Amino acid sequence: MTVSLMSEAKPAPKPSSETVADEKVVHGVVAEFSDVDSLLAACERVRDAGYTKADAFTPFPVHGIDKALGIKPTVLPWIALAAGFSGTCIALLMQIGMNGDWFEGFSYPYIISGKPFVSLPAFIPVSFELTILLASFGTFFGMWALNGLPRFSNPMFTSPRFDRATDDTFFLFLDAKDARFNEAGAKTLLADLGGEFIEPVLDDESSKRIPKFLITSIAVVIAFSLIPALLVARMRVTKSSSPRFHIIPDMDFSPAKDAQQVSTLFADGRVMRPDVPGTVTRGELDWDVDFKTGINMEKLTQLDPSRARHLVAMMQSDVEVGAEDEVVEEVKPDEPKTEEPKAEEPKTDEPKTEEPKTDEPKTEEPEAGESEGENAEADQPEADKPEMKEDEPAAAEEEKPATEEKPAAEEKPATDEKPATEEKSSTDEKPATEEKPADSETADQPQPEMKAETPVAEPEEAQTPAEQPTEKPEAPTALAPASGPTVDTTPWLTENPIDLTDATLERGQSQFNIYCAVCHGANGRGNGLVNQRAQQILATTWTPPSNMHDATLYADVYPDGKLFSTISNGIRKMPGYASQISAKDRWAVVAYVRALQASQNASIDDVPKAQRTKIEKAQAKVKAELEKAAAEAEAAATKPAM
Amino acid sequence: MSLAISNGLDNTVERPGERAPLVLGESSYHSITEAVCRIAENPPSKLWVISFLVAVHLATMLGLCIAYLFYTGVGVWGNRNPVFWGWPIVNFVFWVGIGHAGTLISAILYLFRQEWRTSINRTAEAMTIFAVVCAGTFPGIHVGRAWLAFWLAPYPSLNLWMWPQFRSPLLWDVFAVSTYATVSLLFWYMGMVPDLATFRDRSKNPFRRAVYGVLALGWSGSSRHWMRYEKAYALLAAFAAPLVLSVHTIVSFDFAVSQVPGWHTTIFPPYFVAGAIFSGFAMVITLMVPARKIFSIEKLITIRHLENMCKIILTTGMIVGLAYGTEFFIAWYGQVTEEKFAFVNRAMGPYWWAYWTMITCNVISPNIFWWKKARTTPWIMFVVSIFVNIGMWFERFVITVTSLSRDYLPSAWAYFEPTWVDWAMLVGSFGLFFTLFLLFCRLMPIVNMAETKATLAKELHMAHKHSAHKQHH
Amino acid sequence: MSHHQAVAPKPADDPAFTMPAMLSGLSLPLCIIGLIALVGGTFLGTTAVGGRFGMSAYLTAYMYGLTIALGSLFFVLIQHLARAGWSVVVRRVAELLMIMLIPLAILFIPIAWAAWNGSLYTWTDAAGYQAEHHVPEAVWSEKIRWLNPSWFTGRAVLYLGIWCLTAWWYFSKSQRQDQTGEVTLTESMQARSGPAVILFSFCTAFAAFDWVMSLAPMWFSTMFGVYMFTGSVLAAHCSIALLCFVFQKQGAMRDEVTIEHYHDLGKLIFGFVCFWGYIAFSQYMLIWYANIPEETHWFYQRYPGFSDTFGPISIALMVLHWGVPFLGIMSRHVRRRPWAVAFWSAYILVLHFVDIYWAIMPEANLGAGGAAGILASILTVVGMVCLMLGMVLKVGSGTRLIPVRDPRLGESLAFENI
Repeated sequence: MTVSLMSEAKPAPKPSSETVADEKVVHGVVAEFSDVDSLLAACERVRDAGYTKADAFTPFPVHGIDKALGIKPTVLPWIALAAGFSGTCIALLMQIGMNGDWFEGFSYPYIISGKPFVSLPAFIPVSFELTILLASFGTFFGMWALNGLPRFSNPMFTSPRFDRATDDTFFLFLDAKDARFNEAGAKTLLADLGGEFIEPVLDDESSKRIPKFLITSIAVVIAFSLIPALLVARMRVTKSSSPRFHIIPDMDFSPAKDAQQVSTLFADGRVMRPDVPGTVTRGELDWDVDFKTGINMEKLTQLDPSRARHLVAMMQSDVEVGAEDEVVEEVKPDEPKTEEPKAEEPKTDEPKTEEPKTDEPKTEEPEAGESEGENAEADQPEADKPEMKEDEPAAAEEEKPATEEKPAAEEKPATDEKPATEEKSSTDEKPATEEKPADSETADQPQPEMKAETPVAEPEEAQTPAEQPTEKPEAPTALAPASGPTVDTTPWLTENPIDLTDATLERGQSQFNIYCAVCHGANGRGNGLVNQRAQQILATTWTPPSNMHDATLYADVYPDGKLFSTISNGIRKMPGYASQISAKDRWAVVAYVRALQASQNASIDDVPKAQRTKIEKAQAKVKAELEKAAAEAEAAATKPAM
Repeated sequence: MSLAISNGLDNTVERPGERAPLVLGESSYHSITEAVCRIAENPPSKLWVISFLVAVHLATMLGLCIAYLFYTGVGVWGNRNPVFWGWPIVNFVFWVGIGHAGTLISAILYLFRQEWRTSINRTAEAMTIFAVVCAGTFPGIHVGRAWLAFWLAPYPSLNLWMWPQFRSPLLWDVFAVSTYATVSLLFWYMGMVPDLATFRDRSKNPFRRAVYGVLALGWSGSSRHWMRYEKAYALLAAFAAPLVLSVHTIVSFDFAVSQVPGWHTTIFPPYFVAGAIFSGFAMVITLMVPARKIFSIEKLITIRHLENMCKIILTTGMIVGLAYGTEFFIAWYGQVTEEKFAFVNRAMGPYWWAYWTMITCNVISPNIFWWKKARTTPWIMFVVSIFVNIGMWFERFVITVTSLSRDYLPSAWAYFEPTWVDWAMLVGSFGLFFTLFLLFCRLMPIVNMAETKATLAKELHMAHKHSAHKQHH
Repeated sequence: MSHHQAVAPKPADDPAFTMPAMLSGLSLPLCIIGLIALVGGTFLGTTAVGGRFGMSAYLTAYMYGLTIALGSLFFVLIQHLARAGWSVVVRRVAELLMIMLIPLAILFIPIAWAAWNGSLYTWTDAAGYQAEHHVPEAVWSEKIRWLNPSWFTGRAVLYLGIWCLTAWWYFSKSQRQDQTGEVTLTESMQARSGPAVILFSFCTAFAAFDWVMSLAPMWFSTMFGVYMFTGSVLAAHCSIALLCFVFQKQGAMRDEVTIEHYHDLGKLIFGFVCFWGYIAFSQYMLIWYANIPEETHWFYQRYPGFSDTFGPISIALMVLHWGVPFLGIMSRHVRRRPWAVAFWSAYILVLHFVDIYWAIMPEANLGAGGAAGILASILTVVGMVCLMLGMVLKVGSGTRLIPVRDPRLGESLAFENI
């Protein structure tokens, strides 16, 4: 495998006229030079002697040798220009064609950030890149093509001395194809010019056959490389009833892909894992249940020990996302086993209950609010989050007039100010409750309340009514303490547990303005930007946020603890903010809300004496102005009449 | 042939009117060949073997992390709402930036006839390619379902029947980075062909001779070939120069066309390019200072070469500093609330430590190069180059993370924290880079012999002329 | 290689190094015509068009002259910084242009005056501007801490001071070397070029913000300084090539500035045409794409669909300032013909005026100002060019046209492109 060996890949160029005594083809005569200057001088002499096909071989580009040898400039720049220009055109055509709207059926016009389909500025970067790419290809491949390379056979390489042409020696070669060439004359000329080791360039004599092992190994490699392609080709034309083969476990196959779905991984079918009883989540050791729930635990223990215990257990494992992930991962090995039956289930067992379940949570989640109270209660024993429990009293209270059987549509007008008609159509209590038993029966879903209001739950409606009664007795037992249908007996904290200072109120204000004001408005009147927008677009699924200045939200009827709980866990449409606002800040927000409420009912007595006169003055001034304005308006109104 | 230039000369001193030599010692064409070929021909040193093993292990770690990522999903990273462009994009921009010095040295310095580039351009170009390999990995795996990354290519798909969106800066990136990788590879390979021919002609082992023979494409050193070759080289340099500008410009577009405060600044394109060159030269120094020592090529890669690189680091460091300042000024001058906040937040917010690391490393540390002593002492420049590498990584971190973690919506603010996978991938990418680089050192000509010989020829010629001139007087 | 003969420099007092008599005779008339045209144009603009038009035209002309002088200063600094050898023969021409910063500092006085009386910058009338544009108090009170006449003038003095000092220092050192031939002078010029470039970039960026960008007080673009800088370096290279060509036509430095130097200048001009295109495009692209009202209004005023005057100029700039010269100077054959380089230099210098005009005039809110306005704009810039040229010829008459004793002169004379 020497280079000369490689040379057999291509037949050597046909020899020209000159031959020597031993019948070998002579391609020319070569001489060595040891430095640049003597080579250049020799080149000039050779050129002047009339040789046009002489060539020099040098280890590095020698400046000025093209002139010395009379080499003409190359056309390479034109090739590069043409290639670059075609790159620009291809890029522009491609982009306009693909993203523009010029070619019906081919184009894929798609509105993005309000830009026109054919946006020239946005097309320039890719056009530039393709111009450069193609120009570079043109230059690179053009250069090798013009040089006649790659070429694995070259008679120059037959002489072992020529190896030094890439090291430190300079060669001058007189080509036999040159019209002036004759071997003896050429040798004399080179000798005159100071060339050393003058010798003829002979034809490459080594074997012209490509070694067998090379051919065999190439053939084998090609054969092997065809196997995958053939396999793919075969798979594309055959049919099979077995499931698709997936090399990479995509998200579609994740057992934890949907929190509201039934999982076949666990015996209880739940995806969201409840907390392990008696454990404490990392970082949660110094918890203070009162502080975090807004409930006076001592009193609750007296009133309802089981609920208190449950609440404490829930607080202990205020599950973090990370912890939950671990749980899921641990059981992963089971995954393959369970997957198979799951795939077949729909066909045989209970297709009607399974299918809708996967859809509902996605579509219905936002509707969760209205009947939260009841449904959360129904599920309480299974619930893994404390939020649900705390919601229930809050919700229950608002739904005071409602009995369990009453449709939600009746409850709402009492509490929220949503148009009743809309409510009726979109959130029908009945189908919702009817559907529930199916859930609890099959899966004991953690958050079935999400489904409670399914407006599109018609399919189940038909099947499930029979099961309805089973839910009713279940619910009350679960609710026991809080749902005492009408009165909220939860011993809420009535006093804010944090120190009320200016700093606290400011903190509360800043948090309120960040998180609450978008809906409730900076003044708490329930008319924040989001609400305004929702009214504007007549959003049908929108529940207007509460007005903080409504008497039902004052501290006497809506204790601080309850307000805290609502902020933490949400109510109706409002999500819980426990994950975004720290408990301390939530209490600060409670304090600020109280301050807001107070601000609307303040009397002059609330103002420090020192500042009273100032305010009174200002009031008097405003009053006077108003009176004056009124008088003027009156005058203006009467004038035209006169 | 051994017309020598005085040995041990301090070529960092250059009297105006004379040019200091760039090839030192009793150099001849053959000694250059020897010095360079020896590196690949001799058996590897222990140091090389150990470094290689370490690098391969780290690269394997990267591979395993990627496998883990593919299997589990992008959740293994610390990227969370609102910082979805966290660590991987920081690494991407960092590595692409590193690559830029290679092209700058091989193309732009070539166009400006800076002859000192000749002995370092090969290594720098190799560094470019390996850095682009590392860079390309990150957006590739950041697309989420990396096995579908080919959807980025405009190929006619019968399943989708739609085309990529060319008005998206992320797609420009695909084209820019792939064009850059391709052209750099062509440029690097083309530059290596004559040297591979030298390797071929020196090989005793038939296998080596065959492999280098194929790679050298039958190069013979014909003057006609050299003429077209040089033309092609100049043309490629002329294409690569705007290309290198465009690549980091387009990377900066990824950020700057958005409306995220701190990202949308018109100075981003030139500022990113300057930063890229800055970090790239730092990486060249990080590599060259040990390499010239280990491979004993101090006479080819002289202190002068290093000093020039230090000067470029100083210059680009100043440009980057000016850009930081301008950004701050305009954020204040423009009086857009979010923009003002974004910049104050960078310096005083939760990521203040990243910001001040960046300022210390990028703006303050290169100032040591005002002193000639620092510019000519390899260990000092090595230390500073490490600082600059760190600083430039942090620059990308600061830009990406501080802006995203606190943008227009305060209720969505969050603090980005990397996971162990993030860290392992960053370290692993260095493993990949060094694996490739160490392989290159062993297998390829690490100094451009042909060009260095041409430089030597010129210097010999000048010295000759000079002595003749003196005799004449 | 043996055939490259080192070119022996001519003796320092060779007549080829002095300003041709024909040109030095033109100096005074040019200065007088220039001054008249400059004042006349400004006056015409102020009276016939009114408003801020006259001073805007003056600022356009001023920025035109200033950018050329600044670009030349940068050229000189960067040659020292890079220890360049090829450029020695053309460096004196750059130095002559660079020293124009001193008269330009005096010509700044009308602009400073305008900043006080409100005939140029809208922010001078702070309360009025705020009321007219409904700028919130919180924003405006911060803005006017930067944009107020006294601080504006103070900064201008700072920038002009730094530029003039640098230019003067480099000019006088170079002059002294003509006499003494001290090599140490080159060394000290090299040593100071680094910090000088830093100061230069700082001042140039901020001067662009202050003098041009603040015409639209609410608009901002971090790139704007770079944009002005790019245009200025491009214009400076063109001016150097053009002046060399003119001097050679009149018989000076014929053997010294060769095709090789034109070739190199041509390459740099080509490079900066591309760089200008790159910067201009990047600035437009980022603002166009993000589409934020605070920024787009500046381009909106220059948009084809919005402004009948400046819309076409925007398109023309794209095509004529980038596209045409890009194709025109791309070929090596063009760059190796001095007359072709001179032609393209003149062409780009005209387009450079259009560029500055496009950046400044729309802010006067009077369009092109009708025939009188166009006449005024042209008169002022022609006046500025004549004045500058007259002074260059004047200064050039008192000095040699190449640095005759620069230690790298030999290298420059023998220079050949690869």
